[in-house]
Amino acid sequence: MTCTCRITSYYNSQGNIRDFFKIRMSILDVLVGVGMTTSWPKVDYAGPPRALPVLLDGCVIGSLSSGEADKVVAHLRRLKVSAASVIPDDLEVGYVPLSLGGTYPGLYLFTSPSRFIRPVRNISIPSSDGKDIEHIGPFEQVFMEIKCPDGGNGGRSTTFPATHEELMPTAMLSVVANLTPWSDHNQSPRNMYQCQMAKQTMAFSLQALHSRADQKLYHLQTPQTPIVRTKTYTKYGLDDYPSGTNAIVAVLAYTGYDMEDAMILNKSAVERGMCRGQIYQTETIDLCEGKSNQGQRIFKREHSDKAISSFVDSDGLPYVGQVIHGNEPYCSTINQVTNSKRVYNHKGSEMAIVDYVAVDTKNKQHLQKKRVNIRFRHPRNPIIGDKFSSRHGQKGVCSQLWPDIDMPFSGVTGMRPDLIINPHAFPSRMTIAMLLESVAAKGGSLHGKFVDATPFSDAVKGANGKTETESESLVDELGSMLRARGFNYHGVERLRHMVSDKYQVRATGQVDQITRQPIKGRKRGGGIRFGEMERDSMLAHGAAYLLHDRLHTCSDYHIADVCSLCGSILTTAIIQPQKRVVREIGGLPPARAPKKWEWRSLWKKLFWIRFFHRVEAVGFLGGI
Amino acid sequence: MEGISYQRFPKVKIRELKDDYAKFELRDTDASMANALRRVMISEVPTIAIDLVEIEVNSSVLNDEFIAHRLGLIPLTSERAMSMRFSRDCDACDGDGQCEFCSVEFHLRAKCISDQTLDVTSKDLYSSDHTVVPVDFTDNAGYDSTEPRGIIIVKLRRGQELRLRAIARKGIGKDHAKWSPAATVTFMYEPEIHINEDLMESLTLEEKLSFVESSPTKVFDIDPNTQQVVVVDPEAYTYDDEVLKKAEAMGKPGLVEIYAKEDSFIFTVESTGAIKASQLVLNAIEILKQKLDAVRLSEDTVEADDQFGELGAHMRGG
Repeated sequence: MTCTCRITSYYNSQGNIRDFFKIRMSILDVLVGVGMTTSWPKVDYAGPPRALPVLLDGCVIGSLSSGEADKVVAHLRRLKVSAASVIPDDLEVGYVPLSLGGTYPGLYLFTSPSRFIRPVRNISIPSSDGKDIEHIGPFEQVFMEIKCPDGGNGGRSTTFPATHEELMPTAMLSVVANLTPWSDHNQSPRNMYQCQMAKQTMAFSLQALHSRADQKLYHLQTPQTPIVRTKTYTKYGLDDYPSGTNAIVAVLAYTGYDMEDAMILNKSAVERGMCRGQIYQTETIDLCEGKSNQGQRIFKREHSDKAISSFVDSDGLPYVGQVIHGNEPYCSTINQVTNSKRVYNHKGSEMAIVDYVAVDTKNKQHLQKKRVNIRFRHPRNPIIGDKFSSRHGQKGVCSQLWPDIDMPFSGVTGMRPDLIINPHAFPSRMTIAMLLESVAAKGGSLHGKFVDATPFSDAVKGANGKTETESESLVDELGSMLRARGFNYHGVERLRHMVSDKYQVRATGQVDQITRQPIKGRKRGGGIRFGEMERDSMLAHGAAYLLHDRLHTCSDYHIADVCSLCGSILTTAIIQPQKRVVREIGGLPPARAPKKWEWRSLWKKLFWIRFFHRVEAVGFLGGI
Repeated sequence: MEGISYQRFPKVKIRELKDDYAKFELRDTDASMANALRRVMISEVPTIAIDLVEIEVNSSVLNDEFIAHRLGLIPLTSERAMSMRFSRDCDACDGDGQCEFCSVEFHLRAKCISDQTLDVTSKDLYSSDHTVVPVDFTDNAGYDSTEPRGIIIVKLRRGQELRLRAIARKGIGKDHAKWSPAATVTFMYEPEIHINEDLMESLTLEEKLSFVESSPTKVFDIDPNTQQVVVVDPEAYTYDDEVLKKAEAMGKPGLVEIYAKEDSFIFTVESTGAIKASQLVLNAIEILKQKLDAVRLSEDTVEADDQFGELGAHMRGG
């Protein structure tokens, strides 16, 4: 709807400045002509409910008897629409009728520029030569009766009919909602889910990729235009920014790998390029940042530095097209004063390719390069765990890449599906439009035509009172297109949620400085919390060793010495661990009891507040 | 047990044979054989495809992997593939895949110097071996043959350049779809359609007509002379059951009976152009034989003779 809106302007359609004084005077003339009493200073006039005040651009210009108001408003609107009259077509006729406890009644007229207006059809005017489009503003529209052109009356009674009509029934839908084919056939929550998901698609989001330095950019390598599309899709030219591919979809409970919203992708189709994509990620290195060594550092690699010479060129920057694996260097700087070097390593374990290196020349006073943008490209081909969706709020996760030869095939045409989804995705979700889309897309692909799937299009009456499409229903239209059976086509979108960005696995790894327990956060190589509920579950299973492994061995395992005199493990001195032989001579046992670090730090804290714990180490001291 | 033999002698009858298309009947065997043949044709018949790309200059709009992927998917004429070595078990080059026994080198050099967009196609790939070249589709009718048209790799605008070296190797479709020589391989059971003539005669002409038209494909027709329903093309039947449902709806169940002949198959083979469709079938049979030999001659099979029973003897007998 927004695209039909416009802002009222100082200029008319010829580009000349409008004379607002003249416009106001002519409106005043018209109002006086239809029976408005003009107001004069110091003259009292009747207020509501007998008469209604008339305001023009915020100034009281007169009053109107309540009985006349409806007629005056209708007359004003008629003049507004007709081209011949002096009333401008962007006049806002805010008529607040008399009501009990409602807004203060009156006729509020606005002619000023910079107001938001949108077109609707005035159906109270007999439509001749298409002059029935009226521009209305946000103030007046809440007091108007505007119906949706879906053929119904919107629940209005005949005594109180609609005076205006929206231009399109899809005017109520947003841009994303307008892209769902036949959304009028879907259960409404599914359309809502789809609106959420359409924004997560890994799409072809821009054309000027070569000169962009976005922080993170998802890009689909092999997009396609959907066979089934809405009018909005064409109108907004979304073919320049496609967001998915057409896929041959089998709705089949095939191997069990498509249970619970999982889906099977055809391995060969993926190898041929289906749903391939990449992530572009830009790292910015600014040598002017930081206080101390400003202006001292430059991008450079020492010629003697052979360790990084295969990754970094002598100017300290990476080679374009270079493949960089995890923790490999990609950039090097040298401090000219201290001659110390710094090497930037690629974070994470994922492979990346240097796509583009740009030197920022924003700072004119530094002739040397000080700020550099390095764009990396991460190839992301579909793998198990990646998320895909149809255009009807039906998302799923790839559970297998299934070889072509193991896929079911059509005996007549030899077609194999690109994708298998489970039939259980349909009954409870009631995405009928998805079924319609598959039937229509198949017909469209067999005939080499695009199929229009604008919602509510069968309700829009054409000029001759007939529906736009010749046939009575969708089935009539598509039925003749289908000559053979088999697999169905769907618009499939690849969503940007990928396992490579999400997986979080560790046995042991980094630990917290103070508690010596595993840290949080995927980025830092942390673990997923094994909390109380998980502990309860392990206990219930009797998996004691697993529990011990998780909560002790992989967590804050620690060995400490206990003082034989005071029984404390706290000491100011650093005790060198004794050699095994020395311990044996001293009669000490070779194995040392591990203590939880958490316990040790608790001890420390208690010690500060004058508590003292001791370990009764009698057993240890006695020896064997 | 020795005496009984389940050996069958399958027959092949070729219906239609073009360079990239073959249609044939396979009779007197079962679905396991037919499916084995189909699977081998798609995923185990070797071809040659570009497997390694060294990019020297790429200032085109497509990134390096994209171009490498596109190069890999270009079908190359692969008559040599059966006699070539897999680079992983090539003795001559120690598996680095750079020798003449297991690889073919390609060069591509293209630079756009005019204002017109330059299409870099498979025609611009120069092969070190004249028997392994990108498949030429121009002589197949349909295109304007005066203009040489290959498969477009990338389009270049003024000043953009693409220079690369590519190594093509032998491989099979199981490893990567680019090595699959088959665009489509499919088979269907041959349908056997019987019309119950007596019951059919009880229909009026309109009913016959609506019956004929109920089939989405043209299987039946009405003889213009005798006004009898005749089967014109049983193989057009797609096992869609539409005519059976129609007969049921007309209150005449058993009007037609349709069986699938379970020992006879109609194969359709379409090749990518890497090898001829006929050669694809022959190679597939050759590879199937090699695979069966591997089972038959392996130590395990002889040892497990008891387990295999009659099958073991059968396998050893050939």
